[in-house]
Amino acid sequence: MRKRWIVIYALAIILGCCLPCMAESLREKAPDTPVLSPPLQEEDKEYEDEEPIAIADPLEPFNRAMFTFNDRLYFWVLKPVAQGYKEVVPEPARVGIDRFFNNLSFPVRFVNCLLQANLKGALSELGRFTINTVWGLGGLLDPASNEDINLRPYREDFGRTLSFYGIGHGFFITWPLLGPSSLRDTFGFAGDTFLSPLSYVEPWYAGTLAKGYDKVNAVSLRIGDYESLKEAAIDPYISVRNAYLQYRAKGGGRSGLIAPPAGKDKER
Amino acid sequence: MKRITLIGLLMLLFLFPATTLAATPLETVRANVNKVLEILRDPTRKAQFAKEIKEDKIRPVFKDMFDDVELARRTLGRNWTSLNPSQQEEFVTLFRRVLENAYADKILSYKNEQVVFDRETMIATNRAEVYSRVITSSKEIPVIYRVILKDGTWRVYDVVIENVSLVQNYRSQFNEILAKNKPDNLLEILRNKVKEKKS
Repeated sequence: MRKRWIVIYALAIILGCCLPCMAESLREKAPDTPVLSPPLQEEDKEYEDEEPIAIADPLEPFNRAMFTFNDRLYFWVLKPVAQGYKEVVPEPARVGIDRFFNNLSFPVRFVNCLLQANLKGALSELGRFTINTVWGLGGLLDPASNEDINLRPYREDFGRTLSFYGIGHGFFITWPLLGPSSLRDTFGFAGDTFLSPLSYVEPWYAGTLAKGYDKVNAVSLRIGDYESLKEAAIDPYISVRNAYLQYRAKGGGRSGLIAPPAGKDKER
Repeated sequence: MKRITLIGLLMLLFLFPATTLAATPLETVRANVNKVLEILRDPTRKAQFAKEIKEDKIRPVFKDMFDDVELARRTLGRNWTSLNPSQQEEFVTLFRRVLENAYADKILSYKNEQVVFDRETMIATNRAEVYSRVITSSKEIPVIYRVILKDGTWRVYDVVIENVSLVQNYRSQFNEILAKNKPDNLLEILRNKVKEKKS
């Protein structure tokens, strides 16, 4: 327990150091809003509805270094491990395990639906958790998504709740291991940690191991996604940064190690 | 009798443009996607050159399905006008090559995926969004096609995969590059990108 607090304090100190530069960057660019530009000319008008969402990136050199670190980590460690694991464990089992971990993080989605006054979402999540835990072998199966029941997941998290109350991203951060994030979503991540049952597993490293295993399992289901994103990009760092913003803006769950994870399920 | 056939022929003539106009955005996209899926699933093409043959067969379908000038133009947004006409032309060609290189293998690897079309929404008088889902054995990926009506045909100018718009993603990259470089540098970067894949 103590170790976790140390990590959180360290995080707070790092963020504290970042605040002055954040304040400056906030003045330059309002977060979450399109970059203000000279009045639109006649021809530009049709692009108006799809201006790219912008984010301040005062830490770009650090972020790019971390991006490279994560990239290497993916190709040198995570991908080979996930590939080996994929050879051994058949796909239906991996899909089940993915669902199991997803089911386990129900409190995060449920509480954040409530915090956003989204009663429909909270009830849907509660129903999914009950049905999938009881009749879905503890979440390994997903009977709640059957056509008869048809309860959709609502992938809310604390970062999205902060956004709901009007708090912008602040600025972009790429964390080692955790991947793309923002100041807001980092606080969100810390908040969600308290709601994740895996954080309360004793001894503390058992929970961390379980999280790592969840990660490897999830990656084994989407090998090739990051590769094609990188392949298609002219500047992979900018591409990932933009993909993260677009994904979060439309209500996608928290980012995976490298790129946003696919939902088998989308809300809204 | 002759008169009737003549009238019949005339009616046919009038009928054809009418039917092309009548195709809704969803129908148009679905027809094209199904054509591609048919080529991909063709079991007789498991031969040595299956990949090349399929690529050659799919290319004209995509040419018909996508409005590549509109797509390329939108990735530049308001920067489009900072390119002169010959640069614009080269940009469109290079960008098409980049997309081809990036997505050809991915598309050709599709086997048992199922594509379901859900609905369409008009976003302007001449633009619409077509909602679809790609269903694989382990996941479901939402894909939205943005289409524009030109000369009576709906053509795709943006693809939104899992909430991420392709055009916006490229625009963020091109914006960044053009903020520090001239259009010529951008073309050079794209030329290298295309070459790099070839070798």
